[in-house]
Amino acid sequence: MKHFIKNYSCILLLPGLLFIQACDKNFEEINTNPDAVSKVTPQYIFSKAQYDGVINSANSSKLLLGTMQYTTSYNDVDGFGSKYVAAQRSLSSVVFSSGYPNQINEIGEVIKAVKNDPTQVNRYAVARIWKAFCFSRLTDLYGDIPYTEAGQGYNKSIFQPAYDAQKDIYADLLKELDEAANSLDANNTTTFGTSDQIYSGDTGQWKKFAYSLMLRLGMRMTKVDATNAQVWVTKAIAGGVIVNYADIAKMTYIGSGQDINKNPMALDLLNSSYIKADGVSNTEGGKYQQVFIDSLKKNNDPRLSVLSVVYVNGIADATPAIQKGMPATINGQKPADFVTYSEPKQTTVLRLASPVLLFTVAETNFLLAEAALRNWYSGETAAALYEKGIRAAMQQWDLISGTTGTITSNQVNAYVSAHPLNTGATFEKQMEQIYNQFWTGIFPDAQEVFANYRRTGYPALVPNNYPGNATGGKIFRRFLYPVNEQTLNTTAYTVAVGRQGADDFLTRIWWDK
Amino acid sequence: MIGLLGLIASYGFSQHFASVNSGRAFSGRAFKTPPSFTEAEQTITLKEAISGLKKRYHFKFAYQQGLLDNKFVSYSLLNNTQLQPEVIVEKMLEGCRLQYKQINKKQFTIFSPEPESKKKPSAEGASNNYYHSSDVPDLSWEEYMEDNEFNMIIKGRVISGEDGQPMPGVSILLKGTTNGTNSDTNGDFNLGIPDEGGVLVFSFIGFSSQEVSVTASQTTLSITMRPDASTLTEVIVTALGIEKDKSSVAYSVTEVKGEEFTQARENNVANALTGKVAGVNATGISTGPGGSSRVIIRGNGSLTGNSQPLYVINGMPIDNSVPGGSATPNGITSNVDRGDGIAAINPDDIESITVLKGGTAAALYGSRGANGVILITTKKGKAQKGIGVEYSSTFTIEKVSVFPDFQYEYGQGEGGVKPTTLAAAQASGRRSFGSKIDGSSDYVAADGLNHPYTAQKDNLKNFYQTGNTFTNTLALAGGNESILYRLSLADLDAKSVLPNSTYNRKTANLNVSAKLSDRLRIESVVQYSLETAKNRASAGDALGNPNWTPYEVANTVDIRWLNPGYDAKDNEIIWNDAAIANNSYFVVNKFKENDDKNRFIGQASIAYDILKNLTVKGIVTRDFYSYNYTNILPTGTAYTPLGEYAGIKSDLSETNGMVTATYKTEIADKFGISILAGTNGRKMEEKRNNFSGKNYIQPYFYSFSNLATSSVTPYTGRTTTNSIFGSVDLDYKSILYLTATGRQDWFSTLSSSNNSIFYPSVGASFVLSDAITLPRIFDMARIRASWAQVGGGGPDPYAINLTYSSVPSASTVPLQNVTQLADGTKAITNVNLKPFTSTTTELGLNIQLINNRLGLDVALYNRRSTNDIVSVPISTTSGYNNAILNSGELSNKGIEVLMTATPVKASNFSWNVSYNFAYNQSEVIKLADGISTFSLGNSANGNAYINNNVGRTYGAIYGYRMLKDASGNTVFDTNAGLPAQTNINQELGKGVPPVTMGFSSDFQYKNISLNFLVDGKFGNKVFSVMEVYATRLGLLKSTLPGREDGLVLNGVTPTGDNYTRTIPVAQLRSAYYNNLNRYTELFIHDGSFIKLRQVILSYGLPVSKIKFLKIQSASIALVGRNLLTLYKKTDNFDPEQSLTNGPAQGIESIGLPRTRSYGVNLMLKF
Repeated sequence: MKHFIKNYSCILLLPGLLFIQACDKNFEEINTNPDAVSKVTPQYIFSKAQYDGVINSANSSKLLLGTMQYTTSYNDVDGFGSKYVAAQRSLSSVVFSSGYPNQINEIGEVIKAVKNDPTQVNRYAVARIWKAFCFSRLTDLYGDIPYTEAGQGYNKSIFQPAYDAQKDIYADLLKELDEAANSLDANNTTTFGTSDQIYSGDTGQWKKFAYSLMLRLGMRMTKVDATNAQVWVTKAIAGGVIVNYADIAKMTYIGSGQDINKNPMALDLLNSSYIKADGVSNTEGGKYQQVFIDSLKKNNDPRLSVLSVVYVNGIADATPAIQKGMPATINGQKPADFVTYSEPKQTTVLRLASPVLLFTVAETNFLLAEAALRNWYSGETAAALYEKGIRAAMQQWDLISGTTGTITSNQVNAYVSAHPLNTGATFEKQMEQIYNQFWTGIFPDAQEVFANYRRTGYPALVPNNYPGNATGGKIFRRFLYPVNEQTLNTTAYTVAVGRQGADDFLTRIWWDK
Repeated sequence: MIGLLGLIASYGFSQHFASVNSGRAFSGRAFKTPPSFTEAEQTITLKEAISGLKKRYHFKFAYQQGLLDNKFVSYSLLNNTQLQPEVIVEKMLEGCRLQYKQINKKQFTIFSPEPESKKKPSAEGASNNYYHSSDVPDLSWEEYMEDNEFNMIIKGRVISGEDGQPMPGVSILLKGTTNGTNSDTNGDFNLGIPDEGGVLVFSFIGFSSQEVSVTASQTTLSITMRPDASTLTEVIVTALGIEKDKSSVAYSVTEVKGEEFTQARENNVANALTGKVAGVNATGISTGPGGSSRVIIRGNGSLTGNSQPLYVINGMPIDNSVPGGSATPNGITSNVDRGDGIAAINPDDIESITVLKGGTAAALYGSRGANGVILITTKKGKAQKGIGVEYSSTFTIEKVSVFPDFQYEYGQGEGGVKPTTLAAAQASGRRSFGSKIDGSSDYVAADGLNHPYTAQKDNLKNFYQTGNTFTNTLALAGGNESILYRLSLADLDAKSVLPNSTYNRKTANLNVSAKLSDRLRIESVVQYSLETAKNRASAGDALGNPNWTPYEVANTVDIRWLNPGYDAKDNEIIWNDAAIANNSYFVVNKFKENDDKNRFIGQASIAYDILKNLTVKGIVTRDFYSYNYTNILPTGTAYTPLGEYAGIKSDLSETNGMVTATYKTEIADKFGISILAGTNGRKMEEKRNNFSGKNYIQPYFYSFSNLATSSVTPYTGRTTTNSIFGSVDLDYKSILYLTATGRQDWFSTLSSSNNSIFYPSVGASFVLSDAITLPRIFDMARIRASWAQVGGGGPDPYAINLTYSSVPSASTVPLQNVTQLADGTKAITNVNLKPFTSTTTELGLNIQLINNRLGLDVALYNRRSTNDIVSVPISTTSGYNNAILNSGELSNKGIEVLMTATPVKASNFSWNVSYNFAYNQSEVIKLADGISTFSLGNSANGNAYINNNVGRTYGAIYGYRMLKDASGNTVFDTNAGLPAQTNINQELGKGVPPVTMGFSSDFQYKNISLNFLVDGKFGNKVFSVMEVYATRLGLLKSTLPGREDGLVLNGVTPTGDNYTRTIPVAQLRSAYYNNLNRYTELFIHDGSFIKLRQVILSYGLPVSKIKFLKIQSASIALVGRNLLTLYKKTDNFDPEQSLTNGPAQGIESIGLPRTRSYGVNLMLKF
């Protein structure tokens, strides 16, 4: 009773003004979440935006790792990327669904917090670069996407954002990169500091990353708008791109603790198939695909034994001769010789403490090689850049494995001398050589490979005409929007589909026309 | 036989101390002194006095016509306000040599204790202190016997079946003669009868007459009189526990007696409401014992939020949440229905359940009454000699009742080929696209063994076991005029049809009430319950759902070949191509899912009469539970080989304090007026930790401390609502009643500028039959009308301000994020939220005809929810998953009809029937500016959505159809070689049945009764996930075309050219049937059904014959629930196969199959 009187003294008072005033007493305190804060700390949320922006579920065994024919599975779910099974088509919408409420929302919160503060000019610039990176990943997969109005649900109460044409998105992304790179101020020490898990706040490196992204996005437009492509590529090169090993844009992980602290692609692969590490108990039936392993073997590629193993009596064996990829045509049934197929190596591709490489020296050199071929860049020859690209691609396994000299310089030299760019061949032949190397060298960033495959047609992958596939046996040109966009954002969706073409795997996005 | 005469009702509004009154037995005392009053003292007629009492106290009196004539009482006695009303009645009647029996709190029967017979009533009659009227000859016993030549004396005692007390004043008549007597103060009687025996008729107003044959050998009788409710005007419990005469209420209220729940019982008492009350749509969830229920009254009231009613026990609200949230149709790991709050209530403790159907009835509950209120009154002690002991025991068994109609022509295999190797068998473990079932011997199944290739039709029967439930309740009750008590102890032990799944509920309930003085009363109810469940069936998507194997295993596999589901190393045995489709034997044998809920519900009240007609009452209640849940996915699980862990630890409490003051008076002899004022404070607090983790470091050791990755997410939710409320009740000559209520609520969940709202309600009831003279056939005719506005603040705290939370991370870099809801979604908070309102208008008509043998009650209602606070799923491109908005508008209109009839009412046989019907039409009027649709939920893989669409019904099913051209040809997607899909926004049917009905019938022959209940729901559709898989996997008969020669598909291309494609047998599954999940419409069925819901055959044992056991009454009953489905349109599943008690209804998701149960119930009273 005492307790009652103490806690309900308010209501024991009879109705009256006193009561009314008393009866919402402490309500504000009661309605304050003890486990949350009301003010944002921009650097903390920026760190989260980095983690989320790097998690790229398109680079999963279910999706582009399969499509770009690195991996496959005998089952339809994990094998979707390599088989395009119609029944599993909704898998392709996941990047879109998760992208906006995570990295897009978070980087928006960061920008909102730092934008109008002149002392935080570097944080603002870095956030803009990161935002451009995140959006570019989305638009490259889906084409037209909400951009200008996206992520404004709280700030502007926009619940049904319009889809921007990819052309306009690209124009703005490039403008943003340009402005952000220009606004970076090396003399201003207010950066994200250690909260920046890519460059620890180094403005010089962010500038290189911005220009490298400009190079990447500029090259995307070669097919649809070569003139502007050249403008932006030229501008990017002039600004300074990532050409040194130390400048590689990479997200670091400690490899233990929470899932967020682990290399997301390695984690995804482990959870899908490889956690038991015995070659047999592959949960989702994943293995390397025949196309990839055959190519590495054919070229005596030293990377084969770095990235691939076969389990022999339960022991991982990286001997190149016994490596064998699984065909993507297997229909549902676990093959009797399943154990004999190659799979990702636990100490490299599946290493939870390895960094995710976001922009590498290899990519710069391959793109520059193409620019040289197109006579947009004359600083070095295409052949030299091509060779530098291969060397850089081999060297970057040091980062992934955490061990220097993973591929010895002898191995690199031997490979390089056996694979020179055939400068006498046609433009197309040379392009094919560059982008075959890109395919091998940029692995496991299948999304970047997928973009350049669509733009250049290389590597000349042979599609898998699997029973019940959704594409008539053709490789995707884009991913499908989430079906609930049809319901929750009907008007904007309808306009986008009307402009871009049917919401189909084979509809080509703007830069792929 | 005493007919029903002069039953006059008056209306009242009382705060009398319930238990004392109801416990009060007889005032049938011996009159020692005839009261005398002098000539000078002012007298009035007894009739006038009784009439005055009726008005003042709103009592009702029943008496034989003429009984009150020519009798006078003291006027001062009538106006003596120092005395308790019952005492006044007693003293008045004493003076007139009459007695009364109190039938219930408001109802009295007046009778003369004197023998009706002119004959000497009994041998002991002379020594009895009865007053005899002068016209009864004062004969000696011997003279009496001689006069009548009776050779035999029947002795006996009459007991009230209501309270087990002796019943004086009961008329006992030898049928066909004028020979009779009345029972005495002790209920005893003696009657001389002729040698050949005869039939004795026992009668008493307000009770059913009984006829008993007596023979010479029988000399002692024990008769139990049963109250006859139909002859009495009912008093019902309304909002805040206020009791009202049924004819005074301006809205529809339905009461269901406790017995209806105790014989053929449901573990969750709310499920037992199915079919019993018009307008109440109760659905038991297909999740096994201890599962939740979904009860919706008059349609869903909120667009996304909670539409379930408030549960109130003895006037105070309890929590009905499901710890950790409801299961969802597409949920994955740990998608378990963990049981709701009402599941903890033991039916044996329930005296009655009253359903207040929404706004008008529940306006006094303010924000929480918007969806109606279910009032549960628990049993209390009764004043009696000694201790009353009641024991009830029920044992029921439960069996799977619905089996799919699969094809058994083609067996396990792929591409027309049966498996002959282990690898092929594992690949096709869930595929029945093999060769013709021919009994051949080279077939190999997933166990690696050779089996004959024959159809296995009993996999459901072989996997599921016979479940059972054993419930025992022991209650001790008793008391005296000043203190009453009842203690009950109950144990429910249930074994699910799912192997290794059990549920146990223990409850202890103590109710003590005391009258400390004439003016001060206290009452306390304490309930403690402990619910423990093991391995509740999960449902939804594959992961860990134990129902997937029995429903999906290939049709030539005997599911028992997969038993026990694990190998020597405890690893799951692979039986199919998808690791996530667990081996069900592994799930039931190795998954470790446990939960327990310790719950305490306590309430204490104190009431004090400041004046005779002014009472103040204070009450405080607390409903608290501590809940623990762990779900261990063990080491060796195929899809997560190192295991996973999920846990919930939740402490939740709801505390309420309420003070009320009631005052009643009378103005100018014509107007009765009652006024109530009160305040209420409510606090909810939830402290929860969600545990999750993965990968046991040390295999097979299942501790949270042994996880490679783990995190704990805390949640603290606090809300407070403060209120003031009041009501005024007026009655004019008991003909016209007017009620007005008002309530003001303040919500902590809203911002201070917008946190309060006032809810008014008004109602009127007009008793036509008392106002004008109607034809004799009408016993009663009444019309009623009411209007009410109720509403509420947001149910969830922290919805007004955007906040940021830390994200668990092992790195030294701090992480922060926009605060997410418990389910990981991000919601846009809204500082402008204001309270929502729900406005209900109701009209009703109530008629009783032909001596109350026919009754009709009709209600029309119109309910409109505006400014609904909804968490709307929005396009994720907004950066958020949901927006909390305040603009939803929803309408529910409907009609409810209740018809009752007594076709036969003979002395030892009666037949009562009751039929209820309800139709509810819902319409989503508005969602939010620019938003025309949103989703309440979807099936696994997003094949079907339950959406609210503006202008359409609440919760309709949406999905894809096959695209057709103008001439009806199927348009093909030539890339995929499959029929093209339409867009996903095709409305395919209502998820909630608009029509519900129930028909019940009670036969009573002597002490045998037969009761059955048939109920039906109509007009909804169900999407079946089970059929999606049974199609993709070749189990349904619809997958037979093309098995021999391939399947030819015909249609047109998008440009209109003819299109033909032949699917070879080898690709029949992969290229065609596997992809049919794209066409939602193929798996939509009419969900209408009629079921024989309940049958009870009970027999009242003649306990008087075994008197030495001192049993007062005993009954044994054969009971059955869900026995038969009389009508349904779904061939392969039960249309009630729902698995969530959330708003997304209309999806069957491979939950636990529906069962029928039958058993026996024994009830004893000592």
